[in-house]
Amino acid sequence: MSALDASAGPAVPAAGAQGLVPVFVRLKLSLLRNGLRQSSGRKAAYVSSLVVTLLLAAGQVAGLVLLRGHAQAQTLAVLLMGVMALGWAVMPLFFPSGDETLDPSRLVMLPLRPRPLIGALLVSSLVGIGPLFTVALAVGSVIAVAHGAVAVLIGVVAAPLSLLVCVALARWVTTANTRLLTSRKGRDLAVLSGLVIAVGIQFVNFGTQRLSQAGGLSALEPAADVVGWLPAASALGAVGSASDGSYGVAAGRLAVSVLALGVLLWLWHRSLDRLMSQPDGSTVAAAGPSRRRSGTERSGFFALFPEGRTGTVMERSLRYVARDPKTKAAWVTALAIGLIVPVLNAVQGVGSVYFACFAAGMLGMQMYNQFGQDTSAFWMVAMTVSSARDACLELRARALALLLFVLPYTVLVSVVTAAVLGDWAALPGVVGLSFALLGGMLATGALASALFPYSIPQDGAFKNVAPGQAGIAWISIFGGLLASALLSAPVIALTIWLHLAGHQGWLWLLLPVGAAYGTLIGWLGVRLAAPRTAERLPEILAAVSKG
Amino acid sequence: MPEHAASTDRTDATVPAVRVEGLWKRFGDQVAVAGIDLELPAGRFIGLVGPNGAGKTTTLSMVTGLLRPDMGRVEVRGHDVWRDPVEVKSRIGVLPEGLRLFERLSGRELLAYMGRLRGLPGAEVDKRATQLLDVLDLAGSQHKLVVDYSTGMRKKIGLAAALLHNPEVLFLDEPFEGVDPVSAQIIREVLERYTRSGATVVFSSHVMELVESLCDWVAVMAAGRIRAQGTLAEVRGDAPSLQSAFLELVGAGGRETGGSLDWLGGTR
Repeated sequence: MSALDASAGPAVPAAGAQGLVPVFVRLKLSLLRNGLRQSSGRKAAYVSSLVVTLLLAAGQVAGLVLLRGHAQAQTLAVLLMGVMALGWAVMPLFFPSGDETLDPSRLVMLPLRPRPLIGALLVSSLVGIGPLFTVALAVGSVIAVAHGAVAVLIGVVAAPLSLLVCVALARWVTTANTRLLTSRKGRDLAVLSGLVIAVGIQFVNFGTQRLSQAGGLSALEPAADVVGWLPAASALGAVGSASDGSYGVAAGRLAVSVLALGVLLWLWHRSLDRLMSQPDGSTVAAAGPSRRRSGTERSGFFALFPEGRTGTVMERSLRYVARDPKTKAAWVTALAIGLIVPVLNAVQGVGSVYFACFAAGMLGMQMYNQFGQDTSAFWMVAMTVSSARDACLELRARALALLLFVLPYTVLVSVVTAAVLGDWAALPGVVGLSFALLGGMLATGALASALFPYSIPQDGAFKNVAPGQAGIAWISIFGGLLASALLSAPVIALTIWLHLAGHQGWLWLLLPVGAAYGTLIGWLGVRLAAPRTAERLPEILAAVSKG
Repeated sequence: MPEHAASTDRTDATVPAVRVEGLWKRFGDQVAVAGIDLELPAGRFIGLVGPNGAGKTTTLSMVTGLLRPDMGRVEVRGHDVWRDPVEVKSRIGVLPEGLRLFERLSGRELLAYMGRLRGLPGAEVDKRATQLLDVLDLAGSQHKLVVDYSTGMRKKIGLAAALLHNPEVLFLDEPFEGVDPVSAQIIREVLERYTRSGATVVFSSHVMELVESLCDWVAVMAAGRIRAQGTLAEVRGDAPSLQSAFLELVGAGGRETGGSLDWLGGTR
């Protein structure tokens, strides 16, 4: 007992407080080095991301330095830092395994007191690519914005201050959410990060296009005025205010960042204290009584489904869209991109109504690798499929579950795109063409599901194919896309002919033709895929169980 | 054979539950199952025992139609597993090891899903599910997602899904692995009640005491071959326990640690 008391007593940590910082910095460096040692692929990825970051950072500094004296330099500096701080706050939620020293639960067994620990953790978090990039942004911004001795003086304080606020913010978010991040819900959240990024890119792309059209950065000034008072960015805002000679505002903005740093450190201290002295409650919560009521008998929406395999399979497919993070991420990405691409292009006046077929294409992709989406739970399907008829019902039900959402969505996207462009004449043709394309996607998707199944790893947002199966995945998706395009060729040809031959008045004909044709090839595809599915059950199970 | 097979009713004990002839499976260079022959009688509680890597899971996967054998024949209640899947799949229940369930469904939804896929009417599925959830002590967690279940709860919900359609032969791969004693006792009671009705349970395990206390018929497997099969008494022979008979059969008997580790437990 006495040994334990001594190590936890006040004397030892007091001596260790200074010693702790180099220990943690060395720990961080070792972790980085050992991570690189694990595989040459990882080393290559790390080195290339380091090079890219350094180039970006250098470009950023250079760009900001060149902006020095430009009227909008401060707007840009403040907004960039605002985005950066947001990134620091959000990243740990999506990439919880990125930094092992960030995981305080690994330190619980060590006799450390929170206060020296916080100092050491804070310093060690300054080591890495992210902090380097942030420092580059902060220094570049100060150079771009600071005019006059006072402003330079404030800048010397503001650059490290903004970095510290960012790092403390990330640390507090991680510590406060450790329980969440190590639980099932947290892992689900991490899987959804791919979606945020995929959809985010579309908006960033659109935003830059808008800005380049709409008279540049001055449009952002009101936003910068607000962000300039928010912590991290407010430190840089202070530099700008000092350059303008408004020293009171500068002092206020600087104070906001200093205060924020203090509050963040206090919050972090508090959650670290709680985390290290209280038992992990995550398993207790999981073992507790039920939190959610799922219908005892089939209730509400699902009660409308037919009895038997069709309704049962549709119900499970749709529940998985809502509950399984991988499936949900794939669906929401497809829904969002399927809407964003045609509508945003239409808003900018560069698109055509036919871009709306993109929605059908994106959502039709969800039919591919149906059984891979089941993971090894596919055995439950395999145990109940004993004939081509069962397989046909299974595939048809999965296609119907998809259509239940995709059909109205395709119509909606087409209508919105046509409304934005004001081109109502083309609408029936677009919807008809979408239906034909969708039929082709469902047909090839069903066949690809039977012939080229592959595993989808359940963790990690960016791993959608198990190692060694990437070839199958590419064949299945790209071969399928090509085949769908070929399958819908008759309807595409009819569309082109109607346009070229000047029969625009007959474009409405594409709607019934496309719908009938899509239904026909979709049905044929399912009929062709069914016997192959029934014959290949063990092979499909083996292929989808690798994740 | 088909005429004869078609006439078997579920309590006819003259038709073996499982008949395996010359079953082979190879993964790359490794032979997992090296030509086994087995005849498992109906209406018994049968244990398939063997050390890890003996080929138990591979054998059970091939017998239940989840893995295609390289060679050999499998019949369940007189029906060929690969040629007559309609007859076989409706007669068997399976609880595999190492494969997932549809874990984003709640326990009750999983049973409703499985029962309806088996072709049972909805009301009957709901009735059976309620009773199974009660008996297996899962009623309190029936609305929780299976992904949040503990190992014991997963085994129990898997067992419920396998029993739902009242199969003639139940195949369970390591049903007691990682299960707490209370859940294990519940599973035991359900299985014993089920075999009393004339149904057959085939389960794999490497825990000899468990097999000895539960089974009346045993097949011993090692390195992809069947080393012995028969009633518990036949396989045990003169050995004091199934454990020592088993160690003898797989060639691990009498291995002593000898003089190494002599420091262990010595003066500190």
